[in-house]
Amino acid sequence: MEREDQKNFRRWFKPSWSYVTGAVLLSILQVITLIVTQEPLGITSAFSYWAIRLQGVLGFGTPAQLTMVTQLLGAREALWFEENLVTLRNLGIILGALLSALLASQFRLKKIKSGQQALTALLGGLLMGYGSSIAAGCNIGAFFSGIGSMSLSGWVFGLFLFIGAFIGGKLLIRFLI
Amino acid sequence: MNLSDQKKDNFAKQFSAGLVLFVMLMMIGVFLFQYAPMIAFFWLSGLGFGYILQRSRFCFVAAFRDPALTGSTAVTRGVLVALALTTIGFTAVKYFYHLTSQTIPGQSYIASIGMNTVVGGIIFGIGMVIAGGCASGMLMRIGEGFEIHLITLVGFFLGTMLGNNHLQWWNSHWMWVKEGVFLPDLFGWAGALIIQLLVIALLYGLAIKWEAKQEL
Repeated sequence: MEREDQKNFRRWFKPSWSYVTGAVLLSILQVITLIVTQEPLGITSAFSYWAIRLQGVLGFGTPAQLTMVTQLLGAREALWFEENLVTLRNLGIILGALLSALLASQFRLKKIKSGQQALTALLGGLLMGYGSSIAAGCNIGAFFSGIGSMSLSGWVFGLFLFIGAFIGGKLLIRFLI
Repeated sequence: MNLSDQKKDNFAKQFSAGLVLFVMLMMIGVFLFQYAPMIAFFWLSGLGFGYILQRSRFCFVAAFRDPALTGSTAVTRGVLVALALTTIGFTAVKYFYHLTSQTIPGQSYIASIGMNTVVGGIIFGIGMVIAGGCASGMLMRIGEGFEIHLITLVGFFLGTMLGNNHLQWWNSHWMWVKEGVFLPDLFGWAGALIIQLLVIALLYGLAIKWEAKQEL
């Protein structure tokens, strides 16, 4: 690659956008998504779906849960189709971020540092998984899309996210740093 | 080769790999489009979502965590701008559907409110801070090359499985408002929009004040 070209490409792909630019683009993406798919952005419904599927295969759970699984398996075609789209979008998030990182030459394979780091990540993930599955969503589906849809649940969830993040910050300082 | 040349070389390598990836992703997009345009839309919107998150370092965890941890509210204000703009856009779309007597889209996101919302919020908040990424952030960082977030993803999945099994219990014991609350039902369309935007503006003002206070 020629030096001059490199300079030009760098100017296009290297600098980070401002948070406000990100906010504007995410909002546009949200509105287009609402119009095209008739639903706002969400991520965790795909996790729920695959968790229920896996559980159905393994065959454990409360009777109510198993009924749900059976229903899901019964309505296989429709749900496969519907929920796989969210899975596909989630995969797109990973690859879109990879693309962005490569074009800016910011991709770095970062190895897991220690067992403690791995355990913390697992615990954090567990808490998020449990929280999002009982509160019907994550920062995107329940908070961002919830508030955007003028749902009171989004505000309630956001308030307690803030409290949780505060507690998490204290734990971080106390135990991890 | 000096250090700066090496850096340039690395840039060229990653940039070329990025171009190859771009072509591949678009080819998959075309394939999906031929299968069904809607599927291609989900694919492309995911790619766009990931690209925007990475390029603008937009992080919902930082938005909630940083005000108390570091005193910075830059990301928080970014999120508030996103909330305001999305509210305006969504309300316009929903109001249009309402006026033309069609089914309002996205109303399934008007979630029920109960103890599960409270506990779920707190637990999710703690989890995202100690894991250093929420659902979108985790996926974004996997793309950036963080191996650790693959573990977060495994934890997320296991947590979801556990939560799914308790959902029935939460819903039958701790539900306060089963149908959820769509603010325009309470305050009217204009009223709800104005109130919500005022609250967001108020929070924005607080965020600016909070950060200024930290710098003193």
